[in-house]
Amino acid sequence: MIIEIGHFSVVIALVLSAFGIVSSFLALQTRNVDWVRVGRIALTLIFILLSIGMGSLIYSFLVRDFSVHYVAATSNSQLPLFYTVAAVWGGHEGSLLLWVFILSAFSTIAVWLHWRTQPAIMPYLIGMECLIIMGFLLLILFLSSPFDRLIPTPADGKDLNPLLQDPAMVMHPPMLYMGYVGFSIPFSFAMAALFSGRLGEEWIKVTQRWTIFAWLCLTTGILMGGYWAYYELGWGGYWGWDPVENASFMPWLVGTAFLHSVMVQEKRKMFKVWNLFLIIVTFSLSLIGTFLVRSGVLTSVHTFATDPERGLYILIFVATVIGIAFGALILRAHKLKSQVEMDSMVSRESVFLFNNLFFLVAAATVFLGTLYPLMVETWQGSKVTVGPPYYNTVFMPVALGLLFMMGVGPYIPWRKASQASIKKNFLVPLAVGLVSTTVLFALGIHSVFALAGTFVVGFAGAAIAIDFGKISALYSRRESSSLLKGAFSAFTSNQRRYSGILTHVGVLVLVVGIIASTVYQTEKVVSLKVGDEFVIDEYRMKLERIHEVRGKNWSAQEGVFEVYEGDHLLTKLRPQKRVYDASQTPTTESAIYAKNMGHIFLTMPDVSPEGVAVARGVINPLILWVWGGGGIMGLGVLLNIFRPRKKDE
Amino acid sequence: MGSKNKKIGIIVSLALVGGALAYLALGNFGENLVYFFTPSEVKAFDSGYYQKKVRVGGMVVEGSMEAYADRLGMTFELTDGEATIPVTFEGIPPDLFKEGQGAVVEGFWTGQHKFQSNLIMAKHSEDYMPIELKRAGVELPRKDFMKSLIQ
Repeated sequence: MIIEIGHFSVVIALVLSAFGIVSSFLALQTRNVDWVRVGRIALTLIFILLSIGMGSLIYSFLVRDFSVHYVAATSNSQLPLFYTVAAVWGGHEGSLLLWVFILSAFSTIAVWLHWRTQPAIMPYLIGMECLIIMGFLLLILFLSSPFDRLIPTPADGKDLNPLLQDPAMVMHPPMLYMGYVGFSIPFSFAMAALFSGRLGEEWIKVTQRWTIFAWLCLTTGILMGGYWAYYELGWGGYWGWDPVENASFMPWLVGTAFLHSVMVQEKRKMFKVWNLFLIIVTFSLSLIGTFLVRSGVLTSVHTFATDPERGLYILIFVATVIGIAFGALILRAHKLKSQVEMDSMVSRESVFLFNNLFFLVAAATVFLGTLYPLMVETWQGSKVTVGPPYYNTVFMPVALGLLFMMGVGPYIPWRKASQASIKKNFLVPLAVGLVSTTVLFALGIHSVFALAGTFVVGFAGAAIAIDFGKISALYSRRESSSLLKGAFSAFTSNQRRYSGILTHVGVLVLVVGIIASTVYQTEKVVSLKVGDEFVIDEYRMKLERIHEVRGKNWSAQEGVFEVYEGDHLLTKLRPQKRVYDASQTPTTESAIYAKNMGHIFLTMPDVSPEGVAVARGVINPLILWVWGGGGIMGLGVLLNIFRPRKKDE
Repeated sequence: MGSKNKKIGIIVSLALVGGALAYLALGNFGENLVYFFTPSEVKAFDSGYYQKKVRVGGMVVEGSMEAYADRLGMTFELTDGEATIPVTFEGIPPDLFKEGQGAVVEGFWTGQHKFQSNLIMAKHSEDYMPIELKRAGVELPRKDFMKSLIQ
C-alpha cells in the first residue's frame, strides 16, 4: 500500500512539472506575476511529492517488503539497517529517483532563496528546472520504475552487492548526485540570462556559491569513490581510469574550468560566451555521466540496446537539453561580445585562458578515451578498451602545467604585468622549486614525474607562502598584534580570495600524496603458512594464526598478521576473506595501519583448504596526504561558501 | 605591439600548447587500445597477432583450474562453447573468479598456442556471462534471475 502512495505521488509530481513549464510560459506571455507564484507552488509541491515517493521507497526497504521488485533485487532480510538505506540508491531505478529528488530540493531552495532579488529570472528558472524534472520523471515512471510489484512475492531478496556494503558507498552516490544536480542551478540561471537577454555578470555573481557548492559535493563524491576503491577493492590504488570514474571526472574538469573562468568575467567583463559555453558543457556532462553509469552503456552498447526504449529515450532527453542550451547560446552570441580586449600575454587573464585550455584538453582526453570504445563498437562491431597509459601520458603534463599556473595566476596582476613585478613575485618561488628539485635529486630520487612534480609544487607552494606571509606581516604590523593574528586578519579581509588559495594548498598536498604513493609504492605477494613471515621494505609480517569470524550477514577467514619494525611489534593486522550469506559472494577485506602519513596495507586474497594463505602487502608512502589534501580543499570551499557577504553580493 | 598582433600572439600560443597536448593524447592512441576477442577468434589468430595485448572473454571450464605448486598463479581453460583455449596466469585472481563462471583475461596469445595472462577480470553477478560473448552470439546455460529470486 505504502509503495503505491509513493508511486501515485510521483505521478502527480510529473503532472505538476508539466504544469510548472506551462505556468512559466504564461508568466512570460501575460507578464502576470501570479503565474510565477503558481509555478513556485508547483515546484514546491513537486519537492514535497518526491519526498513522499522517496520516503515510501525507503519505508519499503526498512520493512523489507520484498513484494516490491526493486527491494527484492537490491536487498535481503539479513542486510544491516545502515546498508538497507544505502540499497535504496544501490540500483538504477532508485538512484534515478534520488537524482530527481535532489534536483527538486535544490531548485525549490533556489526559487525561494533568490525570489526577492531575482524576480525577472524566476519564470525561466522554474521552467528550466521543471523541464529537467519532467524528463527524469518520465524516464522513472515509464521505463525504470522502482515502484513495481513482484508477483509472486519471494521469501527473501537477492541482496545488495557486497562490495557496496560499505560506509563510503552509502554517501558516495548522494554526494556525486548533489554535485551533478548542483550545477543545474547555475545552468538554469545561465539559460535564464540567455533567454531574457540580461546578459550581464549578474547570473554569475548570484550563482557563485551554488557553483562552488556543487563543485565541493562532486569533489567529495569522487574522493570518496577513490577511497572506497582503495580499501574495499583491495588493490591498494584509488584511481584506475575506469569508465565509471571517468564519467564523474569529466563534469569535474569542465566545472573546475568554469569556476575559474567566471572570475575573469566578474573582474574584467571578458569571456562571456565562453562562460556560458562552459556551464552548458558542465551540466551536459553531468547528465551524460549519470546516464552512462546508470544505463549500462559503458559495459557495452549492446546492454544499452537490450533496453532500446530506455536508450533511445535517454538519448533524446539529453539531446533536447543540450540542443535548447546551445541553440539559445548561438542565437544570443552576437550580443555577447566583450567590450574589453586582452591587454597582454603576461597577465592574469591570459593565465586563466591557459588554465581553461588545460582543463578542457584534459576533459576532451577523458571524453575520447571513455566514448571511443562505444563508437568503435557501434560502427565497427569490435570491442575495445583504452588503457591507462593513454590517460597518464596526457595527464602528467596537464597536471604539472596547471600546478605551475597555480603559483602564477593569483600573483600576477590583471591587464599587464611589468618585468619588475614578475621578477619581484616569481624569482624566489622559482629558486625554491629548483633548489628542492636539486636536493631531491641529490638524495637519490630520479623519477622524472617526482622531480617535475617537486619543482612545480615547490614553486607554487613558495609563491603562496610568500604572498600570504607578506600580507600577514602587514596586518600584524598595522594592528601591532602577533603574526598569527595578522594572518587571521589577512584571511578574513579577503576571505573569498584566501579560501580559494587554501583550496590550492589542499591540491598541492594531494598532489604530493599522489606522486609519493604512486612512484614509491612497494608491493609484495607471497604465499605462506601459519608461523611463516615475509619482509616488505623495513617491515616484517608474521602470520600468527588464521581463524573464523562471523559478521551479521557474512562469515570470514581472518588472518592475524604481526607487523614488526625491527624487533618492535607495531601492530596486528587482520585482513579477511569474507563470504556473504545471501549471494555467496566472496570479498577480500583489507587491513590498514597508518604510519608516517603512509599506509601499511595488507590483504589476504586466498586461503587454501591446506591452510596456505596468499598475502599481499603494499606500502603506500604519504597516502594520507591524498585524503588530507582533499580535506583541506573541502575546508577552503566551505570557508568560501560561508564567508561574510559583502555589500555588492 | 598592436592589439591585432597581440590577439594573434595569444591565439597562436594557445594553438601551440593545445596542439602539443593533443599530439600527446593522440600520438600513441592506437598503442593503448586493447581489443576484445572470443576464444574461437583467438584460435584463428595468425602470427601477426602473437605477442599483442588483447582481452579474451569466456567461461572458465569446470575442472580445468590447476594452481602452481611453487609460485602464485595457475593454468585453466577458457571456452566460448565452440573453442577452448589454455590460459596460464601469474598473479592473484579476483574474488569472483571461479570455475564455471565468466571471466575476461588480458594478455598475449603465444606462438605455442597458449594464452599468457597477468590480469583477470571477473564480474560479480551470479548469472554473469561476459557481454562480449553474448554479442558474439554465444549461448551458454545460465541461471534465470527471476527464478533465483522466487525459487
